[in-house]
Amino acid sequence: MADMHTEVLILGGGPGGYTAAFRAADLGKQVTLVERYPVIGGVCLNVGCIPSKALLHLAHIIHEAEAAESHGLSFGKPKINLDKIRSWKESVSKALNTGLAGLAKQRNIKIVQGVGTFESASSMLVEGDDGKQTITFDDVIISAGSQATQIPVFPNDDPRLWDSTDALELNEIPKKLLIVGGGIIGLEMATVYHALGSEISVVELMDQIIPGCDSDLVRPLHKRIKKQYKNIWLETKVEGIKALKSGLKVSFSGDKAPESETFDAVLIAVGRRPNGFKIGADKAGIEVDKMGFIQVNEQQKTNVEHIYAIGDIVGNPMLAHKAAHEGKVAAEVIAGEKSAFDALTIPAVAFTDPEITWMGLTENEAKKQGIEYDKGTFPWAASGRSLSLGRNEGLTKIICEKETGRVLGAGMVGPNAGELISEAVLALEMGADAEDIGLTVHAHPSLSETFAFAAEMITGTITDLYIKKR
Amino acid sequence: MSELIEIKIPDLGGADEVEIVEILVQTGDAVEQEQTLAVMESDKATMDLPANMAGTIQDIIIKVGDKVSQGTLVAMLRPGAAEANATEAMAEEKPAEQAAKVEPPKAEPVKQQPAKTVAVSEPVASTGKAHATPSVRMFARELGVDLAKISQGTGRKGRILKEDIQAFVKKVMAEGVAQSGGAGISPIPEVDFSQFGETEVKPLGKIKRLTGDHMVRVCLNLPMVTQHDEADITEMEDFRKAHNASKPEYKLTGLVFIIKALTAALKQFPQFNSSLSADGQSLIYKKYTNVGIAVETPNGLVVPVIRDAEKKSLNELSAALVDLSGKAREGKLPPAAMQGGSMSISSLGGIGGTAFTPIVNAPEVAILGVSRAKMQPVWNGTEFVPRLMLPLDLTYDHRVIDGAEAARFLVAITQSLGDIRRLLL
Repeated sequence: MADMHTEVLILGGGPGGYTAAFRAADLGKQVTLVERYPVIGGVCLNVGCIPSKALLHLAHIIHEAEAAESHGLSFGKPKINLDKIRSWKESVSKALNTGLAGLAKQRNIKIVQGVGTFESASSMLVEGDDGKQTITFDDVIISAGSQATQIPVFPNDDPRLWDSTDALELNEIPKKLLIVGGGIIGLEMATVYHALGSEISVVELMDQIIPGCDSDLVRPLHKRIKKQYKNIWLETKVEGIKALKSGLKVSFSGDKAPESETFDAVLIAVGRRPNGFKIGADKAGIEVDKMGFIQVNEQQKTNVEHIYAIGDIVGNPMLAHKAAHEGKVAAEVIAGEKSAFDALTIPAVAFTDPEITWMGLTENEAKKQGIEYDKGTFPWAASGRSLSLGRNEGLTKIICEKETGRVLGAGMVGPNAGELISEAVLALEMGADAEDIGLTVHAHPSLSETFAFAAEMITGTITDLYIKKR
Repeated sequence: MSELIEIKIPDLGGADEVEIVEILVQTGDAVEQEQTLAVMESDKATMDLPANMAGTIQDIIIKVGDKVSQGTLVAMLRPGAAEANATEAMAEEKPAEQAAKVEPPKAEPVKQQPAKTVAVSEPVASTGKAHATPSVRMFARELGVDLAKISQGTGRKGRILKEDIQAFVKKVMAEGVAQSGGAGISPIPEVDFSQFGETEVKPLGKIKRLTGDHMVRVCLNLPMVTQHDEADITEMEDFRKAHNASKPEYKLTGLVFIIKALTAALKQFPQFNSSLSADGQSLIYKKYTNVGIAVETPNGLVVPVIRDAEKKSLNELSAALVDLSGKAREGKLPPAAMQGGSMSISSLGGIGGTAFTPIVNAPEVAILGVSRAKMQPVWNGTEFVPRLMLPLDLTYDHRVIDGAEAARFLVAITQSLGDIRRLLL
């Protein structure tokens, strides 16, 4: 294939890459995007956020239908047509793929399919099905993402040993499924497979699921899935996995470790690793740390002047919304604008049931850093909206600076909590304080009210609960 | 774990090629976060270079006289103490080491509470990071304004608005980012006087503080010159003493004669009864003649104004003087009684002194100082005769008054006082 030159080259078509490409094109740059798969959208759209959300939607319907039984509404046992579910899930991703392709076309962005590696600081070799081609560029944005961490000693070639991509393929519903890693990905997939009928066990090395999150936010989820799942083993390590004919025999270690057990499938969800070592960074003189991350400044610049990097490959948290914002910054800086990534926080959401979300400072961190804070907590048991959904375990928490009352962090757990966190992020970015939030009229009855109520627990103006006078 | 950290020159608000004028630390010094490492000086201002974290200075790369810009490497620092950044580095390395051993959960999105989130949130809490919304932060970045330099915004609850950034830029354009008082003058360094002996701190009264501000403003804004002269008041004093001996309703003081002489001079030299317009482009002449009198009170200096002094008789001036100074000492002067002066008089004659240099009570353009009269031998052409001589000091704003004009003005006053019949002319 013919070699070519482009003003801006984007390596990787995930949410960071395509956002950067679109923004750069809108700012008048001629853009080429290199993507190894036939469709753009990356992990998020094809084997991550989007398909998992489609499956979680169905899981929630199954759970809600079950719960409605005790409220006087019976649907009977759900009939699961796996092929149909799979093709519906794929159609969701496809609709978005098509949309993105259209958006790229409207902007005259050239998409080259193939695996890109640097040849030098100004050229990239792209190897695709149609052959090799060298693309030279003025500026480049690396958005090559990450991939699921594999444990080398496990039988990784066994089709019963899954990573998140395998789990989302939905080839079968194993009778007994072990989830290794009680983080967000593991627990989301546990939710899906539990609803579809698997018997779930979760093994987690730390002393709580979703480590790092405040324990009060995790507790309602833990309590619920403890009843639903066969086992949740905390502070337990997977010692080994043996592929037997009858299944995968997993042995554990740790004080609370159970006996070895055989599972029909095992999902490894122990994190993701950046793809920093796979792009020929050394040929371009780009520094990559020992983990595979590329260090960038707040303008997303690497140590090489005209080479930028965004998304999973520059550091945690590995989240699509972080990548997209960074992508815009990189594109704008290339176009000569004085942009910088200075967001105060990146919100996190676990789309489990109940959902868990948080942003800004966690209480754990506040304590660790010795920051003086006030905490307001509003239990959803006092929310009419939550009770009318048949749920009462939720919680909204807000953390404010003691001296100024300004919002430092917030977290929620409960159905639809993921939709509530954005208000808290806005409050943080705008420098709102607890009074501002309490004085903002929230629609009733809504779950979003709980954020205002939590703020009013700090200001002492709450009327939906009774606080004893001190 | 503690790798060396580079300390670089931060955003200098657009300034480039700034000179290092002082380096305050040495290799091996332990420094606190925010401790000043070096002082930089641009053509407009001096700036401190703070340490961005606590630690030990390993290597100083710059030297005094170097010209630096944003990003210039200054020194290498080995972080000490538990620092946010150090924790961040640790947090990011952990997964690497552990991943090999089947470890924690580390789900894709948001492993542990993301290190970066913590790091960016931290300053909000402990340092009260700029209270500004994302769009305002962007605007500041475009203009290269360091939001930390804007202490208080005009928005709700002190939020920094776009207008505040615009105003800040205007201010900087006009005067440079001064760290201290006006005109880029460095403040007088703080001294712990207790090391020399016992001390006691008493807060300044409000009048003292206001006077202080006013005096600094005047001194920095006005080019002032003081002219000295003497008036022969032998005959004036003879008349005054004789009059007072007749037990009048109002005893006359020397000051009322000086007021009278001053009003006559103001009529003759109207530029002394003027003020400069705010833009300095025109002179505003006043058709009234109000004379301010500096009065010492227990709380500090005040300057009540005698209205229409040129229309008042000596008796009326005496009455006004008694009234105003009485009110001043009781602290009952309304603000209006201290405004609208043409010129002011500061008389220390009752106490002593041979001369002093009063400070103009701007926006007035001149002030008359009066020292203590003294009997002196004066050569009358054939012999020395004893004459009572009154030293007068005229300080004037040289932007408005020229030296010759000042000399003539003061001569006119001394002549009036030397022969008070002139005041009838």
